[in-house]
Amino acid sequence: MSRFFANGSDSESESSEEEVQATNFNKASAFQFSDDEEEVKRVVRSTKEKRYENLTSIIKTIRNHKKIKDIPNTLTSFEDLTRAYQKALPVISKEENGITPRFYIRCLAELEDFINEVWEDREGRKNLSKNNSKSLGTLRQKVRKYIKDFEDDLSRFREAPDQESEAEDEVAAQDSDGGDAGDDSDVGVKREATEAAPKAAKSAPVKAAPADDDDSDDSIDWDSDSESETESSDDENQYQNMRERFLKRTTEKEDKDDDKRKDKRKEQKVKIRKRAEDDEDGEWETVVKGHVVEKPKMFEKDAEIDVPLVLAKLLEIMSARGKKRTDRRLQIDLLFELRDISDQHNLGTAVSVKIHFNIISAIFDYNQKISEPMKLEHWALLLEVMQSMMKLLLANADINMSESVAEEHEEYAAAPFFVRGCPLAAVERLDDEFTKLLKECDPHSNDYVSRLKDEVNVVKTIELVLQYFERSGTNNERCRIYLRKIEHLYYKFDPEVLKKKRGEVPATTGTSVEVMDKLCKFIYAKDDTDRIRTRAILAHIYHHAMHDNWFQARDLVLMSHLQDNIDAADPATRILYNRMMANLGLCAFRQENVKDAHHCLVDLMVTGKPKELLAQGLLPQRQHERSAEQEKIEKQRQMPFHMHINLELLECVYLVSAMLLEIPYIAAHEFDARRRMISKTFYQQLRSSERQSLVGPPESMREHVVAAAKAMRCGNWQACANFIVNKKMNTKVWDLFYESDRVREMLTKFIKEESLRTYLFTYSNVYTSISIPSLAQMYELPVQKVHSIISKMIINEELMASLDDPSETVVMHRSEPSRLQALAMQFVDKVTNLVDVNEKVFDMKQGNFFQRGNMGNRGDRGYNRNQNNQGGNWAGQRRGSGNRNRNQQRGHHKNQQQQHQQQQVQTIDEE
Amino acid sequence: MAQFDLTRINCQYLDRHLTFPLLEFLCGKEIYNQQELLEYILETVNKTNMIDYTMDTRKRLNLSQEMPEELVQRKAEVLATLKQLQNEVAPIMKATDILKNGESMKDSKTFVNALQKDYNFKLEHLESAYKLAKYLYECGNYQESTSYLYFCLIVMSPNDKNYLNVLWGKLAAEILTLNWNTALEDLTRLRDYIDSANFSTIQALQQRTWLIHWSVLVFFNHPKGRDLIIEMFLYKPLYLNAIQTMCPHIMRYLATAVVINRTRRNALKDLIKVIQQESYTYRDPITEFLECLYVNFDFEGARLKLHECQTVILNDFFIVACLNEFVEDARLMIFETFCRIHQCITISMLADKLNMKPNEAECWIVNLIRNARLNAKIDSKLGHVVMGTQPLSPYQQLVEKIDSLSMRSEHLAGLIERKSKQKNQESIDSWKYY
Repeated sequence: MSRFFANGSDSESESSEEEVQATNFNKASAFQFSDDEEEVKRVVRSTKEKRYENLTSIIKTIRNHKKIKDIPNTLTSFEDLTRAYQKALPVISKEENGITPRFYIRCLAELEDFINEVWEDREGRKNLSKNNSKSLGTLRQKVRKYIKDFEDDLSRFREAPDQESEAEDEVAAQDSDGGDAGDDSDVGVKREATEAAPKAAKSAPVKAAPADDDDSDDSIDWDSDSESETESSDDENQYQNMRERFLKRTTEKEDKDDDKRKDKRKEQKVKIRKRAEDDEDGEWETVVKGHVVEKPKMFEKDAEIDVPLVLAKLLEIMSARGKKRTDRRLQIDLLFELRDISDQHNLGTAVSVKIHFNIISAIFDYNQKISEPMKLEHWALLLEVMQSMMKLLLANADINMSESVAEEHEEYAAAPFFVRGCPLAAVERLDDEFTKLLKECDPHSNDYVSRLKDEVNVVKTIELVLQYFERSGTNNERCRIYLRKIEHLYYKFDPEVLKKKRGEVPATTGTSVEVMDKLCKFIYAKDDTDRIRTRAILAHIYHHAMHDNWFQARDLVLMSHLQDNIDAADPATRILYNRMMANLGLCAFRQENVKDAHHCLVDLMVTGKPKELLAQGLLPQRQHERSAEQEKIEKQRQMPFHMHINLELLECVYLVSAMLLEIPYIAAHEFDARRRMISKTFYQQLRSSERQSLVGPPESMREHVVAAAKAMRCGNWQACANFIVNKKMNTKVWDLFYESDRVREMLTKFIKEESLRTYLFTYSNVYTSISIPSLAQMYELPVQKVHSIISKMIINEELMASLDDPSETVVMHRSEPSRLQALAMQFVDKVTNLVDVNEKVFDMKQGNFFQRGNMGNRGDRGYNRNQNNQGGNWAGQRRGSGNRNRNQQRGHHKNQQQQHQQQQVQTIDEE
Repeated sequence: MAQFDLTRINCQYLDRHLTFPLLEFLCGKEIYNQQELLEYILETVNKTNMIDYTMDTRKRLNLSQEMPEELVQRKAEVLATLKQLQNEVAPIMKATDILKNGESMKDSKTFVNALQKDYNFKLEHLESAYKLAKYLYECGNYQESTSYLYFCLIVMSPNDKNYLNVLWGKLAAEILTLNWNTALEDLTRLRDYIDSANFSTIQALQQRTWLIHWSVLVFFNHPKGRDLIIEMFLYKPLYLNAIQTMCPHIMRYLATAVVINRTRRNALKDLIKVIQQESYTYRDPITEFLECLYVNFDFEGARLKLHECQTVILNDFFIVACLNEFVEDARLMIFETFCRIHQCITISMLADKLNMKPNEAECWIVNLIRNARLNAKIDSKLGHVVMGTQPLSPYQQLVEKIDSLSMRSEHLAGLIERKSKQKNQESIDSWKYY
């Protein structure tokens, strides 16, 4: 709870944010500048303050003593207090019209109460030590005597004791501590204002008011400060123009604000309301006056305002930047005012641009912690300033703003103007802050949606900057701003693209794919930093994949050779790579390339943590806890919610494509010793369902796929299709695709084909011949298609059969091997494996092979020799030529697909 | 048939002079409007110095018989320039003639030395010889041009800025003089040069693309070309890349070459992979034929495509000579595949699939059986062909699986032995220093 709320009225509703800020300041001060103390000492304080401080500190000690019933010390402190008050008396009479400060009265009253209480408690008094009871007597007498002078005040106080004495205590304490406990900016404001105020204006924010006003005084500062921060977050609609609020405040508005706040007050509603109204007059006057006072501070009253003067002033304001005691908010205000002044006096757009730019940096400065997002209203302000600056820049072609302009070459007087500054960096930071803001709020709330609406504005701003850099900017700068635009574009789906592909809209309509093409091609050609190009390629592929441009996307992946060196990239790029791969997989699936889809997704899914790999949320780690630092870094990397890829969809696509590949494969290699799993994850699912003693009807997506797989194993395509494509799965998964009907059709088609293959593999040993037309009928496929599928199986030697054309049947040749034969085959397989492994080992360790595995390998070699003798000398060419072909292909980049797609997915390991 | 005509695309990558045969070929085919084609030829010819050819084209276009003033003038100019250039080069050529008979001709270095020593040879002479060759080429006098270019090639150092141009010029001239043996030599030389020179990636890609197009002319005319085209286009990754990125239409020629090359059947598998990959950028009846036959096993489709292929080949300058071979081999392919998956086929169906009459087909099959290329019997009562396929016995399977093992193991053992020897050698060597 804020300790600065003297009247403690608003604190309940508003405090949380305030508190954060307050602690921030304190923290900041704790770390910064070691010369803190000196600086504090240097500050000139008014006598009043000094005295008051003294008083409050003594009151505090008294209170402490009272708590532990240390009466002798209370006595000495009381004596100190009276003496201090005596000293302060001239100030009090001067400043407060002789009215005793309220806190002093309160102290006296409390003291009296305390004494009475102790005195009354006879039992307790008897137990007191001698020293204590003696002091108590003295104290009682002295207090009684002293109090007589304040009879009136006391009685008045007793009539209306403060509601929240605690709060005031705190204030007092803070006031006294203020000097050393990292005096926060608000007190600073007060002081500055106090100093700035001419002595004559006594009614200004000085504590000239009677004791009561002491509270309201504090609250004035707070009110003026806190409104801007808190209200607009309370209700954004209220927020209109920040600057307006800073400059002139109308009571009506405040009233309105008060009303709003009132709703949230829980206790003491009425009283506070009354107070607020009481305070209002005084309050408003002060603030307005404060600003009136500020203006002459900007410039001398009748100084002629011209460019150098404004620039000097700007320099003066900005030179305070980054210093410990600068009030950053005030700085922003001042800059706004300066801008208004320069506009009023027509000092030219260049100056205006310069001031704009400085406002931007001042707003950026306001937030000191990089990891935390800016406040929303600051960000909105920033956006507005940014846009107006870019509009100015675009409207005036003769202004050059860039980093390369040296300070001394700046030119404001005559065209062409030169201004130092970098809108690129500013817009990049703006964008980053926006992402942070998005990540800050709950993605399922309306908040997120309303914030996401600002995305349009961000894109607009980026567009403005882009226009500016297209007019004047180096290639590097253009690349950077292009990349920004790309990053806002690549994950958005544009239905126009597909319509255009089908020729539903005229060919001239611009689509996002074309924009991407243009931007990316520029970057490919002109970029000289590798990172921008890499990211552009990834985004480009992602965009293509999203719009079903499978071949383009695939070719880009293969030609960029990204798989080879993505390991070396930074985590953000690796995340983008993973996202791209996921999307490419989805695209391949939609485009009926099941195998490719599986290849793309397998690396993501096999780890079991696609969520983490795609930066869509943190998983709890089992082995070791993350340190706070690590967690913070990882959180920073997360994607904002609206860019997420649906994980269930991803998993489903992966499992289904694994099913389509794996089930026929299992059926074909049922007794094969060298059978390998195509997809580990799919196997796990299958096995875990097999382990269950009782399998109910499928509920989740995974269960559906497993059930479908089981149906497919017996070649029951209808059941399989029903498990994959049904109402539940539609809502869960398939409806997420843009053309879901087409995908479903495609799925059914594939299920039919693969079921047919599985059926043939599984049941070929019970047939001597099968009629093709009846197969076609069974699987509801055209005879042509069945014929083609069977032909393919025969050619690839998967099925030992041949077609009999006149009777339209498949004649099986398969003969079951005897046990000995089967064992021999298995044995041969194992031997072949051994040779394979040997070759692999040799390839791997070619360099330093002989230092290590010499002995162990000799045995192996001997073993092979024996095998060779047994096998005779049929040195066939088949395997050899096959190998050669494989090696030759390795060079062809497109043929490499298989190898290429076994890329290692990048685990986003922590650095 | 215009939709499958590649002349337009091919011409982009050919020299102006090389396009004339293509265009003239098209003139005879009546695919395009004759008039337009001739006008186009005229336009192209006008950019060269072949005045006679211009005149001829004009005649064919039925333009005025008389020679326009401008052309007469140009002819005079051309002749004058030619004369002048020839004068410049004359002394050196004389010297070369003399030297040609001597021994020094064998080595280019000694030749150049001799020239410099005895005949006051300078670099400017070389320059003018190059110019003359180019001029002659532009005038259509390819034969003479080659001799000058030959001279240039011998004398020039490979670092010369014109060296690449000379190579290209030589190749073009040899092609145009139909001198296929030397053309093939030049082609190899040019390819080696391109592969070894320091081009930027894009430049190299461009050079290769050009080379690919020019080489198609050579390959389909040289007896050895059919092997070489597969070797170069399919098994040289750099060139395959160039085809895939720049000119997928070359797939047509590659596919044709593979089909008509019976000895290189194993290239078919690789070719089909490439075709499938590129199917979205390029397809024509020839690639589709292969796709139907080997990917989809759609014999009906293959039959239709084969029919289309014939017209395509008939209208393609590069491969028109291979038409009969292609059809024959394509049929054989269909039949082979058919036999592999069928046990029993009716002859009438087969004849249908092969675009033949039943009698012809029967005759054809009989021939195949007689030549022992097919293990089958004809059942003429039912009109069936019955394949004599034997199911693969387990023994055979076993043998098939292990037959390569001994080779591989021996190879591995050999490698290891060699390595160990090397190691020992090294360790002995290192001992020598002590």
